[in-house]
Amino acid sequence: MSKKRIVHYINQFFGGIGGEEKADIKPEVKEGVVGPGMALQTALKDEGEIVATIICGDSYFNENLEEAKVEVLNLVKKYDADLFIAGPAFNAGRYGVACGTIADAVKNELGIPSMTGMYPENPGADMFKKSVHIIETGNSAAKMRKAIPLMASLATKMLHGEEIGSPEEDNYIPMGVRKNYFHDVRGSKRAVNMLMKKMSGEAFTTEYPMPNFDRVDPLPPVKDITKAKVALVTSGGIVPKGNPDRIESSSASKYGKYDIEDLGDLLESSHETAHGGYDPTYANADADCVLPVDVLRDLEKEGKIKELHRYFYTTTGNGTSVASSKAFAEEFSQELIKDGVDAVILTST
Amino acid sequence: MVKEIERAGIPVVHICTVVPISLTVGANRIVPAVAIPHPLGNPGLDADEAKAVRRKIVERSLEALTTEVSGQTVFD
Amino acid sequence: MDLENQQRVKDLTEKHGAENVVVLIGAAEAEAAGLAAETVTNGDPTFAGPLAGVQLGLRVFHAVEETFKSAVDEGVYDDQIGMMEMVLEVDEIIEEMEEIRGEFGKFND
Repeated sequence: MSKKRIVHYINQFFGGIGGEEKADIKPEVKEGVVGPGMALQTALKDEGEIVATIICGDSYFNENLEEAKVEVLNLVKKYDADLFIAGPAFNAGRYGVACGTIADAVKNELGIPSMTGMYPENPGADMFKKSVHIIETGNSAAKMRKAIPLMASLATKMLHGEEIGSPEEDNYIPMGVRKNYFHDVRGSKRAVNMLMKKMSGEAFTTEYPMPNFDRVDPLPPVKDITKAKVALVTSGGIVPKGNPDRIESSSASKYGKYDIEDLGDLLESSHETAHGGYDPTYANADADCVLPVDVLRDLEKEGKIKELHRYFYTTTGNGTSVASSKAFAEEFSQELIKDGVDAVILTST
Repeated sequence: MVKEIERAGIPVVHICTVVPISLTVGANRIVPAVAIPHPLGNPGLDADEAKAVRRKIVERSLEALTTEVSGQTVFD
Repeated sequence: MDLENQQRVKDLTEKHGAENVVVLIGAAEAEAAGLAAETVTNGDPTFAGPLAGVQLGLRVFHAVEETFKSAVDEGVYDDQIGMMEMVLEVDEIIEEMEEIRGEFGKFND
């Protein structure tokens, strides 16, 4: 019997093509393994063969979601795959979104078993954990060696058509599926036991972790924008030239608050980006393309808004934890309120 | 960050390229941007045209801020 | 280890032979040091660069290790590295380096 065929999807970086400057490449395919595929193949042994590797730029995929999906699906069809594996993407946001999108499309549009891997805080995880099996990985490529055996294990199960176990057994991000089963101890007794543990301060494990909905109701609109003080906030890491507060290029531990009181325009000489997750060329040449100070100043002069707030807040969104971002915003929102800001424009890359 | 700003009571609009991410994180007013490395710019255009594009996106954002929404809304 | 440096190490090794190349690293933490050391011995563990799957097994040392320290001028070492030596987790770094060399080095002499 011939070996099972696997198609692997990776981005331009793991494909050895380049970094951010190559994030705009269109999908291409190489026969056999490339980069992490080597490790996957070794871990899979004879269970399957990676017959082709599709490489696509992260920015290209994310900026052209529909077309890129179609292009990649066409490439997958050509190779008659028994299984499709994307990534692992760790905490790389665009890569995670691409892996999730394409794994989901291959599964639901081509009917081919499909899986990927990424860090639970990757936006791709939130978007696709319900529809695709996503192996839970660490937050950086340094964790590749731990991720590969987990990916290979799940892949092997899928190749054999075996039933996939619980998220804990098979190391994937919970999909929100509830499976009914018979427990030998009846529910009321388990509930009382759990309550007694809780009341006596002992550790206990919930049988059903509550999903975190965390949605905010939309606020009513600004009544009169011409009387509004508007503030700018960005996750694109725009900072004064030289990055005086040394905001990190990824996993930011702080945010910056900078004065643009007398500035009508951000210039190459005055501002740059500290963000390490996208090609900085454009932002460094003219930071207005991430933080539109020039346009807001014009609108201010024309009376379309009352005032552009003199301070802007910035941090880098690259790999910065949800908890940190939440804490930053909670803190500076209080300042914005004190400063009488009526509305915020938040830009992201 | 968008949610926290809104939770604090300040109307906020998110200008962002990968709209599905913005939807997932829970922004209520979303305006699509040009591209990841230059959400409000376009190196393919000359300076005046690029600024015009930037202005259009910012104006759309102001429109989003002044529009009543009942749930997540993309303004494009 | 970034892609350019991986390529440099690969090229130099091809040119001069693995037994004639020593890699000296200065990473500030044990994890980073381990990653770099593993890259030039067992191959890029992140599988992102030219040394992915390439096992050079090179001799590799960290600047805070005795092997390097005793091979260079004491005064110069104190000047250049003395301060960092006080701040870095030297023991952890050395432990990581020895582990990697033991497991993957081809020239352990």
